[in-house]
Amino acid sequence: MSRQKLTRLGVELPLLPTSTVGSFPKTPELAEARTKYARKQITRAQLEALEKKATEFWIRAQEEIGLDVLVDGEQYRGDMVAYFAELMGGFQAGGLVRSYGNRYYHKPVIVGEVKWPGPMTVAWWRWTQSLTKKPVKGMLTGPYTVMDWSFNDYYRDRKSACLALAREIRREVEALIEAGARIIQIDEPAISVRQEELPFAIEAMHLTVDGLPAYFITHACYGAFETIYPDMLELPVDNLDLAISNSALDLLKIFEKDPFTKDLSLGVLDVHSHRIETPAEIKARVMRGIRVLPPERVWVDPDCGLKTRTVEESRSKLEAMLTAVRELRTELA
Amino acid sequence: MQLILSTAGSYPRIGDAPDLQRHRRAYAQLERGEISAGEFTTVEDEVVTGVIREQIEAGMEVVTDGLIRWYDPYSHFCRGLEGASINGLLRLFDTNVYFRQPVVKGPIRRKASVILPEYEFARSVSPRPVKPVLTGPYTLARGSILEGGYRSAHELALAYALVLAVEVRELSRAGAQLIQIDEPAIVRHPEDLNVLEAALAVVGRERGAARLLLHLSFGDVAPLYRDLQALPVEALGLDFTYSPKLPALIADLGSAKPLALGLIDARNTKLETKESVFPVLDAVLPALKTGPTYLTPSCGLEFLPRERARLKLETLKRLRDDYLRGRS
Repeated sequence: MSRQKLTRLGVELPLLPTSTVGSFPKTPELAEARTKYARKQITRAQLEALEKKATEFWIRAQEEIGLDVLVDGEQYRGDMVAYFAELMGGFQAGGLVRSYGNRYYHKPVIVGEVKWPGPMTVAWWRWTQSLTKKPVKGMLTGPYTVMDWSFNDYYRDRKSACLALAREIRREVEALIEAGARIIQIDEPAISVRQEELPFAIEAMHLTVDGLPAYFITHACYGAFETIYPDMLELPVDNLDLAISNSALDLLKIFEKDPFTKDLSLGVLDVHSHRIETPAEIKARVMRGIRVLPPERVWVDPDCGLKTRTVEESRSKLEAMLTAVRELRTELA
Repeated sequence: MQLILSTAGSYPRIGDAPDLQRHRRAYAQLERGEISAGEFTTVEDEVVTGVIREQIEAGMEVVTDGLIRWYDPYSHFCRGLEGASINGLLRLFDTNVYFRQPVVKGPIRRKASVILPEYEFARSVSPRPVKPVLTGPYTLARGSILEGGYRSAHELALAYALVLAVEVRELSRAGAQLIQIDEPAIVRHPEDLNVLEAALAVVGRERGAARLLLHLSFGDVAPLYRDLQALPVEALGLDFTYSPKLPALIADLGSAKPLALGLIDARNTKLETKESVFPVLDAVLPALKTGPTYLTPSCGLEFLPRERARLKLETLKRLRDDYLRGRS
């Protein structure tokens, strides 16, 4: 069904479309430049030139590997929530909080009405799309996750903050569509943290995407997927991206009871492991999906953003993934 | 009526001001091999002293050492155990904090005291009573990867309970009067309450004169509330921030055990007001059959920036004082 939607949107993809979840590692040159920028040793323009260079590097890499739907690699973003919080109205950088060990970060604080500041990702999307003929996904963080990963000093409760964010993020979605994006991924890695809040997370996604002409993907990351299934099928998106590489989940058993009704992106590469998966392993993981869904509804990708891997590891993992997918396409044809 | 102010566990180790960054700098130096473990311990001692002073200045009457020396609530206990090792990072419940998951491969055995030396140091620098904190056996078992030594997570919980019982005995003998046991995992697995009950009976069997305070957070405790009263602990600490129905439930059922009321949201920066806190006190306090009652943050404060953690405690003190004044 969603394939028809893609066709209507003018996007033709092969069987088992391949993509990535969003982030790629910063190239060593860019990583060094970001440190220098933080120390005020280089200018914003100098940093941006290197961000563009790194983005172009990743576009070429994705084309060489043979991926079907590309991403800009988020070379210009740090944290997936802070990036938007720093740009949107109503947020302030909060004090330092610990993540683990000796790692600390500035958790954003909502201190006023949240406000879309004008396009936040559109210029990057447009520029990246100009570099390739393949479709580039628009990449946003969803309202529930932005709410959950921020402090809220302003809104009455978590739901009010989440719905307010949804209305503003929708404007970014509209701007991406206006610029020409046809596939938009709205990530909600936090969506399974509080099961009892799933209804308003879904309501927020309705506010974000309803009536807008794009193929929407939501990446849900390492949540306790089984705790919010099948209710998560109510999310008004076309494709749910689930990590299965490390999961012992018996999809067949779960989907037999409550059929999966959307397209499924199977996260088949473990982004937290240095080890390069073999094509045979990857094929076996993809087969777990094909056994429960028609192959026309299955996409293949890593289980999360690749930013914690090295450039070489990322490339090798994706090359193995493409080898596996090409073999499967031949076998299924 | 006695309303005692206390923290519920952790406290931020650093603040944004440069003079509050000592711990972070020393940790990085330790990792680079620029300072010795002993030198780092000296820094930890200073930070613990500062954190205790800050709690007392903010009005706390029972303090913790802020769990400053803990890497996380799991690996801190399991790192030194025979039969266990430490694995990769996993998200701590619904927080943005990560813990290192213990892996149990064979029978676990304690090699040294974990909390006793920390408690003794904290007590030596605190003019107010110090409440030591332990992660409970059920939560430790739920958060561990079981690869051998035990047939089930339930068996493992009982094994952890034996280890923790020794910690409790030592703490009691050293003079701890109130020992907090954190069991957030049970909130999401109420079906295992009997496992928790058996494990807590083991943990507390040599507690002597010390009282055990079972603290539950990171989820709605209302569905469990009635059954908590039967657990072999002397007091219950409850996170109110997930439980809109909890005040009415306590008002209805009462409590035979003293409660620690986690009314101050330790997960969000917004400061509590009379309007949000007094109605809960009005509902709950008349239903408590025995005291003392503790007023606390909903959980450890390390999810907040340091200056906000302190403000939260100052707010708690102000609200308590205003409430008591209003009643007198």
